[in-house]
Amino acid sequence: MSEPALRNDAAASRVMWIYMLTGVAIFALMALLGLTMRMEQAKWIPLDPTMFYAIMTLHGAGMITAMALCGMGGLWYLMNRERALSTLVAYWAYALVVAGVVAVLLSVFPGKFGAGWTFLYPLPFIGAAWPSWATGLFLLGIALVNVGWIVWCTQMFGCVVATYGGIRGALAWDLVFHPKRFAASGRHAPPPQAFAALVAAVDGLLAGAAGMLVGIALIVHWLSPSIPLDPLWAKNLTFFFGHTFANLTIYMAIALVYVGLPRYANREWHTSQVLAVAWWGTLLFVALAYFHHLYMDFVQPRPVQYIGEVVSYLAAFPPAVVTVFGGALLIFRSQLRWTMGSMFMFAGMVGWIVGGFGAVIDATIDINSTLHNTLWVPAHFHTYLLEGVVLFVLGWIFHQLEERSAAQSSLLMRWLVALGIFGGGAIFLLAFYVGGADGVPRRYATQPPPGPEISAWASVGIIILLIGFVVCLMEAVRLARLRRAATP
Amino acid sequence: MDFNQMVLVVFLVGSVLIVAAMIGVAATTRGAPQPQSQVQPRGYALRARWFWALGAATALALLISLPFVPYPSNAEMAGAQHVKVTAQQYGFALPATIPAQTPIIFDVTALDVNHGFGIYGPDNRLIGQVQAMPEYVNHLPFTFSKAGHYTVRCLEYCGVGHAYMQGAFEVK
Repeated sequence: MSEPALRNDAAASRVMWIYMLTGVAIFALMALLGLTMRMEQAKWIPLDPTMFYAIMTLHGAGMITAMALCGMGGLWYLMNRERALSTLVAYWAYALVVAGVVAVLLSVFPGKFGAGWTFLYPLPFIGAAWPSWATGLFLLGIALVNVGWIVWCTQMFGCVVATYGGIRGALAWDLVFHPKRFAASGRHAPPPQAFAALVAAVDGLLAGAAGMLVGIALIVHWLSPSIPLDPLWAKNLTFFFGHTFANLTIYMAIALVYVGLPRYANREWHTSQVLAVAWWGTLLFVALAYFHHLYMDFVQPRPVQYIGEVVSYLAAFPPAVVTVFGGALLIFRSQLRWTMGSMFMFAGMVGWIVGGFGAVIDATIDINSTLHNTLWVPAHFHTYLLEGVVLFVLGWIFHQLEERSAAQSSLLMRWLVALGIFGGGAIFLLAFYVGGADGVPRRYATQPPPGPEISAWASVGIIILLIGFVVCLMEAVRLARLRRAATP
Repeated sequence: MDFNQMVLVVFLVGSVLIVAAMIGVAATTRGAPQPQSQVQPRGYALRARWFWALGAATALALLISLPFVPYPSNAEMAGAQHVKVTAQQYGFALPATIPAQTPIIFDVTALDVNHGFGIYGPDNRLIGQVQAMPEYVNHLPFTFSKAGHYTVRCLEYCGVGHAYMQGAFEVK
C-alpha cells in the first residue's frame, strides 16, 4: 500500500472505530436499561411508572441509533475503500447524531420525557407527566440524529453514484439486462456491499425526509399548540421514518459479512445478476413495508393494508433466498476458520432468518389482529437486532482485531461466549414470543398475568446474555492489546 | 390450543428447522473441503428450487390469509348492531352489556391521544383489537359466540397510566 493509501486507511479506520465504539457503548447502556425494565415487570425491583416509560423511550430510540451508528461506521469504512470519502463529512454526520443522542438523553434524564420512541402525535403534548421543555428537547434530539443520518446517506449516495457510473451503474442494470455487453466492456459490477450502501442511502433519504417533515410539524405544534396536525398523517410519517431507519440497520450490517465472511472461508462473495435483482427488491420492499405497523388503523386506505402484507412477505425473499442462502453456500464444504468473528457472522445470519420468520408471521393481517402490540412485536425485532445486527457488528469487530493481531480466541472462550450470548439470548427471546402468544401487551410497566412470570425468565436470559457480552468484551480488549503490540 | 398458541408452535418448529439446517451447513466445514467452483453450481440449482418452494408457500399463505382481514365490508357495516366505544386517558366508555350471537360493529374513537381497543375473552386470551384514534372512527366487526365477562385493555401506548387503562363488558 502506498503512503497516501496507508494514511487514508488509518483515517478511515479511525472513523469506523469511533462510530462503532460509540454505537457499542450506547448499546451496552441501553441493554442495562432493558434489563431494568424487564426486572421491574418481573416485580424484582420497584420503578415509578413515569421513570419506566422514560427509560422505555430512551431504550427504543437509543438502541436503534446505536445499531445505526455501527452500520454507518462499518459501511462508510467499506465504501471508503471503493472511493476515498471525506472524513470531515463523516465526522459532521457523527457529531450531529451524537448531539442528538445527548439531547434525547437529557430529555429523559432529568426531563423524564416518556412518549415512546414513536412519539405518536398528540401524545407528547397531552396528559404529559414531563415538562414541556423535555418534549422540545426530545424532538430536537431526534431531528439532530435524523440530520446526521441524512448527511451520511447523502455522502453514501454520492459515493455509489460517482463510483459505479450513475444510478444505472450502481444498480448493476447492464449486468442484469445486457450481461454479454457488460462482460465485453470490461467493466466490473459494484461489489455486494455497494448495494447495501445504495439501499441504505436511497431508502434512508426517503425515510429521513419523512422524519424531517413530521419532526418539523411536531416542533411547530410544540411552539404553537393552536396549529393542529392530522393524527393519521403523523402516524404514517412517524412509522415510515422509524420502521425504515430501524430496518436499514440490518442491511447496513450485512455489508460487513459480505466482506468479512469470505476471508474466513477463503472464498469469494461476488456480485451476480441474482444478487443485484435481490437488492432491487430490497430497495422497494424496505420502503413499503412500514404499512404493516398500521394494520389496526382500519381507516387506512384498504389497498395499502394489502400492500403491507404482500411487501412484508416479499421482503423475506432477498435474505432467505439470496443473502443468507449465499452465506450458507459460501461456507458449505469450505475450510472456514471458526473464530469469534466468523462465529458471530454465521450466527447473525441465523438470527436474521429466525427474526424475519417471526416478523412475517406478525405481518399477516389476520394474525396481527391478536399479536399487534403484544410482546410478539419486540420478540421478532429483538431477534434480528440482538441476534442479527449486533452479531454482525461484533463479527466485524472481532474480524478486525483477529486480522490485525494475527491471534484468535480459544475454543473454550468461544463456547463461553456462545453459551452466554446465544443461550441467554434464546431464553430472553423465547419469553417475548411466549408472552406475545399469550396476549401480554407490550409497553406495560405493570403486566397482567402471565406477564410477570415471563418477565422473570426474560430477566434471567438477559443476565446470562450480559455475562456473555462481558466475557466477549474482555476477549476483545485482550485481542486489541495484542493488536496494538503487533502494530509497528 | 388456541390460534395464537398454534402460531407459536409453527414459529418454534420453523425456527428449530432453520437453526438445524444452518448447523448442518456449519458442520460441513469439518469434512473434506470442496472448491467453490464445484459447490456453486449445485448450490445455485438448489437455490432455484428453494426460490420456487418459498414462492409457492408465500402465494399459498397470502391466498389463505388475505380473505380473513378484519376490516368490515359495506354489507357488514349496514347489517350489524353498532356499539360506540370512546377511549380517553385512562379508560373506555362503552356499554356494559353486548348481545351474544349478534353481529356487532364497534365504532371506536379517542378523545385525546392514540389508544388501542383490545378485547380479551373470559379465558383472558386476546381475541381482537383495533386502534382508537382521535378525529377518526375505526369500525371493528365482531360476533361473540360465548357469553361471559370480557376485558378491554389499551393496546397502544398512551401515557403513564397505559397499563391500567381497562374496561369491561358482559356478553349475554
